[in-house]
Amino acid sequence: MEEILTITNLTKSYGSKEILKGIDLHVSRGEIIGYIGPNGAGKSTTVKIILGIEGEYGGEIKLFGENIGQDRVDYKRRIGYVPEIADVYDNLTGYEYLTFIGQLYGLELEIAADKSKTLMELFGVGEAYHARISSYSKGMRQKLLIIASLIHNPDLLFLDEPINGLDANSVMIFKEILTQLAAQGKTIFYSSHIMDVVEKISSRIILLYDGKIAADGTFAELQAENTEGTLEKIFNQLTGFHDHKEIGEKFVSIVQEVR
Amino acid sequence: MTDFKTLQLLDKFRIVFVKMGIDYEMMRKILHIKLTMDERKVPTLFNQARKKDDQKYGYIKSLWIYTLFGLVLIPFMGFGQNFLFQMSISFAMIIFLIMTSLISDFSSVLLDVRDRSILSTKPIAARTINAAKFMHIFIYLTYLTIALTAIPLLVGLFNQGIAFFILTVLELILINLFIVALTAILYIVILRFFDGEKLKDVINYVQIGLSLMLMIGYQVLIRSFEFVNFDMVVAFHWWSIFLIPMWFAAPYELLLNGDKSLFTVLYCIFAIVIPLLSIWLYVKLIPTFERNLQKLLNTSKSKKEKNNRLRALLLKIICRTNEERAFYRFASLMMKQEREFKLKVYPSLGFSFIIPFIFMFTFSRHEDVDYSVSMGYLNIYFSMLIIPSAVLMLGHSEKYKAAWIYKVFPLKDYTELKKGSLKAFLIKLYIPLYIFLSIIFCFIYGTRIIPDLLTVLVASCIYTVICYISIGSKIPFTKPYNEIGDAQGWKALLLFIPLGMLAGLHFLIAQIFFGSIIYLIALIIMNYILWKLVFKRTQ
Repeated sequence: MEEILTITNLTKSYGSKEILKGIDLHVSRGEIIGYIGPNGAGKSTTVKIILGIEGEYGGEIKLFGENIGQDRVDYKRRIGYVPEIADVYDNLTGYEYLTFIGQLYGLELEIAADKSKTLMELFGVGEAYHARISSYSKGMRQKLLIIASLIHNPDLLFLDEPINGLDANSVMIFKEILTQLAAQGKTIFYSSHIMDVVEKISSRIILLYDGKIAADGTFAELQAENTEGTLEKIFNQLTGFHDHKEIGEKFVSIVQEVR
Repeated sequence: MTDFKTLQLLDKFRIVFVKMGIDYEMMRKILHIKLTMDERKVPTLFNQARKKDDQKYGYIKSLWIYTLFGLVLIPFMGFGQNFLFQMSISFAMIIFLIMTSLISDFSSVLLDVRDRSILSTKPIAARTINAAKFMHIFIYLTYLTIALTAIPLLVGLFNQGIAFFILTVLELILINLFIVALTAILYIVILRFFDGEKLKDVINYVQIGLSLMLMIGYQVLIRSFEFVNFDMVVAFHWWSIFLIPMWFAAPYELLLNGDKSLFTVLYCIFAIVIPLLSIWLYVKLIPTFERNLQKLLNTSKSKKEKNNRLRALLLKIICRTNEERAFYRFASLMMKQEREFKLKVYPSLGFSFIIPFIFMFTFSRHEDVDYSVSMGYLNIYFSMLIIPSAVLMLGHSEKYKAAWIYKVFPLKDYTELKKGSLKAFLIKLYIPLYIFLSIIFCFIYGTRIIPDLLTVLVASCIYTVICYISIGSKIPFTKPYNEIGDAQGWKALLLFIPLGMLAGLHFLIAQIFFGSIIYLIALIIMNYILWKLVFKRTQ
């Protein structure tokens, strides 16, 4: 299998705070990677470094067989990205935003317009295509971001909580899109806190904990290594968290104190 | 959180609210939070260059400008007995200033949709929430009215007596009630027929208009005193029944001058009944209003994009690469649609249109000008005063956080983007203004000035690049507006020097035969080289 992404001993700190403490990772073509970990474990940081949003890291990152050094930008043409909290120029309409994005990825205006229009229609938000993004609902916004990340037909996708705000039917469409994309040889990084979704769609799961990789393998492999059944339980176990019951009880008792 | 003096004062009227069936404690808590939040924002007129930490009592501090405007009222309110004329003028000014300020600064209060999700879901009576909303606006209008009228009122008290004073205070209260109700009813009507985005646009244009009016008003004010004639007699006509300020001026005639004519009495009744009626109507319409407010959250109607082949072709000539074209389009859209940008740039755009004429008439007032030889058309250079601030604003956006996309794009450098956005500014904002001015100037000075006007056009392109280099090349729309500091403001001011040089050179060279044409050719060459040099790809 062709290796798409290779990360060797990646480190990153903000001042004296070490966020990533040496990450090693090999990703092949067509994989759907469930990228999970507790809040602040460094998931988004890794993605941002790969995309070039964050600089000054230690270690080496190879994308499509080439080192992403300082001035390399062409590899970005092959990447799509849906950030978790995405600010957009929402005084533009969907059409204006998507064609702008498409053009900057090198598409011709007409092609970008046709493509984004059809994609919006397929996603059930065709009627909002010429409306201002500021008037979109959460789900519509999310669909726009997904389309914006795919409009240039990228080979590698980074998705951070992509189904946030989507209704159940749209989630089904989206899962099918992911499966199809992977079958076409696209590689997908899927970050989420919703464990049962990750469990179902990922062909491989990577758990990041405290700036290091705590687990790496298919769901079946993780199950075999750990005593617990679901991914959620495995997550608890690997991150050393067992107090949920106690904390929950305490929380409710405080809630009831009001009267 | 400290307690507010205003609220402590309001406590004295507690009984009034309780009698009206309002949960006073709850309303006070809501008001407290709202006032705390307001302390952290600054009104539109003053957000150009304010430091972040200097925001306590920001609103009260910003009122000095209204006090200044209030001084103009002194001759009208303090002296003379021609009340109908004087007070009509005074109230017209007061109503205009209060209403525009209400629309630009407190629309967000009237149209707050967060109230619905935060307050309406809690066990609070709707009556209390609405009372809090109304009082919130009323508190500010009180500040504003006091700032505006305190000094003229005191002068009036000494010169016109206590009756005048009490009457004016009562009328001001009525006027404030009337304005709030009128504005709200206006919004109700707009929301009834249009969607939320349209309403936001309307508010935005009112804000732009207000800023522009104040800019021009300041210029006109200085010159206006010689025109004012205090002996003017205002007669009643049937149509003057629609002149709202007149209603409020009539009681003075009735009570102080003893004029008991039909019209005076009718106006007096209007002055009292209509504000009360409008408040009653407003209270009745509140439920409809709240329901329609939901529209602010709805998806706005789609509008189709028109495709124009000629425009596409022109664009291909102006911007050579795909990236540059993308950014040209993006920048034009942002300039057209970002309300914050419009609010900061459009008033100066309007001002740039007026200022050449102001200078023209100031200089030519005392002598006869022969327009067929005059070089007064060089006043068109004043229209370029917009360029430094607009180029500065291009680097900024309300949605600056959305700039993460630039890093995700496969872009080597950002020169194409900057170039595209500067071209968009020139073509979409400056050149329309320039063409409009040029046509008017051609009518005044004759077509002989066309070579000179072309020279001005090329000079404006050069000047744009000069501004762009001096201000520091930022990627367009990536910085928050509050990062524009005083230093930047000074830079913009210093940039008037090269503008003066460009205009001065033009004036000197135009003295020689064919000078303008030589200057024009020189500038075209310079312009070409300058754009090539500045936007050289860094590779």
